[in-house]
Amino acid sequence: MNQTPDITPTTTALLVAPAAVLMFGVFVLPFLFLVVLSFWSQVPGSLSLDTSFTLTNYVRIFSDSYYLGGLWTTLWLSGFVTLICLLLALPLARWIVLHAGRAKGLLIGISILPLICGALLPTLGLVNLLSPLGFINGALKSMGLIQTSLPLLGNITGVSIGLVQAFLPLMVLPLINTVERIPHDYEKAAMSLGASPFVVWRRVLLPLMLPGIVAGSLLVFCAALTAFVTPQILGQGKVVTFASLAYQQAAMVLDWPFASALGIVMLLFLALAGLVGALISRRLARAS
Amino acid sequence: MKRIACYAAVTAVSLFPCLPTFAQDYSGRTLVVGTWGGDIERLLREHVAGPLEAKTGAKVEFLLGGSGDRLSKMVAERNNPTMDVTFQNIYEAPSALKEGLVIAPDAALVPAAADVWAGMNDGCYAMSLVGLGIAYSKAVFPEAPEWSDLWNPELKGKMAYAPYPSSEGDGMLAVAARIAGADETNPDAAFAKLAELGAPMLTYNSLDEVLTLMDAGEIAAAPMISGYVISNLENYEGIGFVFPKDPGPVLVRDMVCQVANSPEPELAQMFIDLALGVETQTAYANELNFGPTNSKVVLSDEQAAKVINTPEEVKSLLQLDWTYVIAQRSDWTDRWNKEILGQ
Repeated sequence: MNQTPDITPTTTALLVAPAAVLMFGVFVLPFLFLVVLSFWSQVPGSLSLDTSFTLTNYVRIFSDSYYLGGLWTTLWLSGFVTLICLLLALPLARWIVLHAGRAKGLLIGISILPLICGALLPTLGLVNLLSPLGFINGALKSMGLIQTSLPLLGNITGVSIGLVQAFLPLMVLPLINTVERIPHDYEKAAMSLGASPFVVWRRVLLPLMLPGIVAGSLLVFCAALTAFVTPQILGQGKVVTFASLAYQQAAMVLDWPFASALGIVMLLFLALAGLVGALISRRLARAS
Repeated sequence: MKRIACYAAVTAVSLFPCLPTFAQDYSGRTLVVGTWGGDIERLLREHVAGPLEAKTGAKVEFLLGGSGDRLSKMVAERNNPTMDVTFQNIYEAPSALKEGLVIAPDAALVPAAADVWAGMNDGCYAMSLVGLGIAYSKAVFPEAPEWSDLWNPELKGKMAYAPYPSSEGDGMLAVAARIAGADETNPDAAFAKLAELGAPMLTYNSLDEVLTLMDAGEIAAAPMISGYVISNLENYEGIGFVFPKDPGPVLVRDMVCQVANSPEPELAQMFIDLALGVETQTAYANELNFGPTNSKVVLSDEQAAKVINTPEEVKSLLQLDWTYVIAQRSDWTDRWNKEILGQ
């Protein structure tokens, strides 16, 4: 696009300034304060803060097996949820693009519903579905398939179901975008050369879908890593995630410095995930 | 009718000098009150904020949320508070006073405080009395259980707890310590004894969630605070609630505090005075099953049976050293996470 000659760098700076000032005030400054706070400490037995520099909070996180366990659970749970979302979203996105026809808009709308209606209501709905007295256990019992309720709440199973339900749209949308740009002829050409459907997926479609897979995976992984409401409600206190630990320390124990350190550690992992995603995207761009 | 109105006006004018500070005009001023939402907010609007607005011309604005949020807010706004009145849990009130965040209870500022049962005002003014008792499944316990009955090995892992830290959790630790022959100042004994009950089947986020499972017998029992539970019992035939005897139920209090250096101290004192008054306290007891702290409240026999409302009942309750307990909060939260939930 040609730049119009009357837009000078000064004009650009002025146009950007309101948003930049807003971002600096409501995002950058509080974030910097969070970083500083994480190096302070709580005066024992008091609500006051000791503002002398200390690494105590970070030492506590990385030397205590409980917090390391919470970090590990959060990381592998996020990875697992990303994988399940990917497996579900790949065929779904392709089907929507190729076969939905006029219903495509409607199906995309339905796909993004979990993003629109927030985390709380669907999660509470899932409690009713998954509880020992809920719909799923009730249906299985009435069919005579089980005698006692399956434990679907208060464990990784329940939390994973909740997170997949919540974040599937973040995987579906980038994939739809990618699948739409793959010419249908490629697939037909591969088939005409004798490739089986599995080979077509593995050798033709998946490589072409990679940019969407990377974008979707990054979005789902980061969302799952920072999710709070779903693990808190469906985990019933038995699934320890970093977000629920940070909430407990910030809102209930009122140890803000330690809660800040937990938040910073989580943000570092988000940054790391973003970095890995960016590197893969760059490599893919070069390869293509 | 006109004549009556005229007499009323004349009487009001003649009594004007005798009226307390209520008669002052506070038009255009706003009192900010932090409290819990739901029934508590409704009752406070009806019995405290409404009359106060009518008498003073001021506006009462409610800030709703959890008491931890309000304590955080007071700490963060220490030098420039925006809240005038805040409702806190008993475990937060003494430390809030120690930190200089609230003003010590004083009957000279809030006349109704003189009618509150002796010893109940601690850090802030005592608003309501509730006890930590046992909500239990009748399918599991044909007779109302004592605390020690929960340690039946067959029930291991069938308890439900509120998220920790909470007064329910601290109360249960104090009970466990006493069952072990110690008290809450011996956390090793408390945690070891409570760990014998196993990890809870559920850490509940809402009453309905836990009561539905208890009604079906999936959960045997839960240490719960009277009031809300008693109000809910009529919806669940399979659930009972009991105040045990040995030790007695743990006394838990909601407190109402005047925030230190707040913008509207006089309005705050008037609000608290109305909140501690007989009318509000009676409504709290009748509608929420929260025991009144005002010694002048008279309840029907039926209602009195449901709430803690006499000094004798209060004496039978287990009172914790909340200043000590709150100082252990960080350590105990770690221990709860590891030794109770993480078994």
